[in-house]
Amino acid sequence: MGILVNKDSKVIVQGMTGREGASHSRAMKEFGTQVVAGVTPGKGGSDFEGWPVYNSVAEAKAAHGANVSIIFVPPAGAADAVLEAAHAGMPLIILITEGVPTIDMMRAVQEVKALDAISRANGGEGVRLIGGNCPGLVTSGECKVGIMPNKIYSEKGRIGLISRSGTLTYEAAKLLSDAGLGTSTTVGIGGDPVIGTTFADVLPMFEADPDTDAIVLIGEIGGADEEAAAEYIGKHMKKPVIAFISGRSAPAGKRMGHAGAIIMGNVGTPESKLAAFAAVNVPVADTMPQIMDMVKKALNIQN
Amino acid sequence: MKLHEYQGKELLRQFGVNVQDGKVAYTPDEVRTIAREYGQAVVVKAQVHVGGRGKAGGVKFSPTIDKAFENAEKILGMDIKGLTVNKVLVTKAVDIDAGTEYYVGMIVDRNVQSFTLMACAEGGMEIEELAAERPEAIIRHRVDPITGLRPYEAREVAIRAGFKGNLNKIADMMVKMSQAALARDAVLVEINPLFIDADGTPLALDTKFEIDDNAMYRHKDLLDWRELEAEHPLEIEASKYGFAYVKLDDGNVGVLGNGAGIVMTSLDVVNRAGAKPANFLDIGGGAKAEIVYNAVKLVSKDTDVKAIFINIFGGITRADEVAKGVIQALNEGILTKPVRMRIAGTAEEEAKALLAEVNSPLIQMYPDMFQAAEAASRDANSAGEAK
Repeated sequence: MGILVNKDSKVIVQGMTGREGASHSRAMKEFGTQVVAGVTPGKGGSDFEGWPVYNSVAEAKAAHGANVSIIFVPPAGAADAVLEAAHAGMPLIILITEGVPTIDMMRAVQEVKALDAISRANGGEGVRLIGGNCPGLVTSGECKVGIMPNKIYSEKGRIGLISRSGTLTYEAAKLLSDAGLGTSTTVGIGGDPVIGTTFADVLPMFEADPDTDAIVLIGEIGGADEEAAAEYIGKHMKKPVIAFISGRSAPAGKRMGHAGAIIMGNVGTPESKLAAFAAVNVPVADTMPQIMDMVKKALNIQN
Repeated sequence: MKLHEYQGKELLRQFGVNVQDGKVAYTPDEVRTIAREYGQAVVVKAQVHVGGRGKAGGVKFSPTIDKAFENAEKILGMDIKGLTVNKVLVTKAVDIDAGTEYYVGMIVDRNVQSFTLMACAEGGMEIEELAAERPEAIIRHRVDPITGLRPYEAREVAIRAGFKGNLNKIADMMVKMSQAALARDAVLVEINPLFIDADGTPLALDTKFEIDDNAMYRHKDLLDWRELEAEHPLEIEASKYGFAYVKLDDGNVGVLGNGAGIVMTSLDVVNRAGAKPANFLDIGGGAKAEIVYNAVKLVSKDTDVKAIFINIFGGITRADEVAKGVIQALNEGILTKPVRMRIAGTAEEEAKALLAEVNSPLIQMYPDMFQAAEAASRDANSAGEAK
């Protein structure tokens, strides 16, 4: 099971015929994901390595009953691709693209949220955007809609993983797997300042997932998403959550690779995040291997 | 991209904001000419990309032409927080006592997933200081990223902030500032002080304007304003390779890895190991040998760096490609500092074999990031002591 995606998910790839889109379409297929079609405006009607290519998301969705779209469109067209998928009624949209202008993301996120509300008010399943600038998501052993290495997600486990960083997610997933814990679903929410889905949006899904026993949350400096997550955990979560904060030694005012990873004034400091987690008794690991010990302790697993 | 005051004013003026214009000068003689032309008291203002120019002595009221010349001589060439002043803005001085100073600004705010408009009746102060000392004095309002700020919202905010003056004109200025911010992909715009004269008319005396780097492709007309000399030379070189690179102060270990998160954590690990990271360098995913070679070359140029810590988690990055890049740097004599690395994942064994062949004490591989970081930190710290 896991959350958001599973073996029944039908995935289309916006930008399949581009370099990134092509290589990750292949990797997702290898993983076992049901990649059903590609969308590249202007190339509709053609075939790409056995996949049918359509001019629009609406056509691809109608033809294949797709319920997830993953976007590899370059930055200038990325927000438009999100809106196309959202207006086509795609319930889950994953934006991988890095470097999308912030204003485009603000507008897209606002519109997606409005469409989500309308869909839900009419009894629909809603519209959710994950990312941009994210590695995507994967339910181990079932379905990968993203760019993470296949190998570390082949075995099912029972730990939910949410992260703002790509490579650090892989690192954590590998450590969890090596420790015999493994991951249920991994969600990379993205490193940009304005993203479609935050920690606090994903936590309730893990809380409700019968296949997840505990959650590992990998945050970083900048913004206040970790603080919002801590507040949610304090009020609503029964399952244990273990946190990790990356960039604790970064200086203020400097952007650390991720556009969202910047400390501005008193907002986004590691101290504020550590205090927020401490206030709701969420253990914060100082190093990545320590995460495994904390998870085991929380679940009463003997070494 | 940060803009200078005069550039920010130019953009705001294009959207109809009433700004206190001025002229840019590069020499004291030019300043004298401008002051003579204005025929009144002027202010000579350093144009550098840092805050706190006034406190550093970079902004001087000049009641006479001679005084303007004298102040220009002092300010041009002066060092403000490590940056050399090579141009000044000369503006007509305003009698501050004949009016009031306020603050308005708009900033990208991830918590509201849009812009937040900020307004405060206490102008002239740095907003960061104000936010720390008297946060309740700042009125905040989310601006819709699709519609922008509308006049009724601007009036409401101006009233809540306690602005006195011509309400419609003040609101109009705020709306125009919002239009400039949205059209020019700002991540930050400030009018501070926003001066309201005795008639109630608003005038932008100083501005800050910063544009989203991701959106520069649609503001090509502003590319000429980019000043590379204002950045660290290694940061400029890194941008040529497309690396995300940040030079860090007082460091001794060069740090590079694949992915922002892993590099951030690598900095933390170096700190824990008792050394200081000298830089942040993300080589990106799927890096080939040549990219690694360029990264090692770049970090080696930094004289602060005494040892290099490479932290790679191979998903799409192949360990043997990383090893080849490092070995190439060694063979070309570029690599003179110890490299301590951890490369996990794809083609790890091939990487080990390549390194065994070279068998240089300068390059060592470790099974995890902690051991590699500790080794690099030890080497860097002992190199410092040896000096």
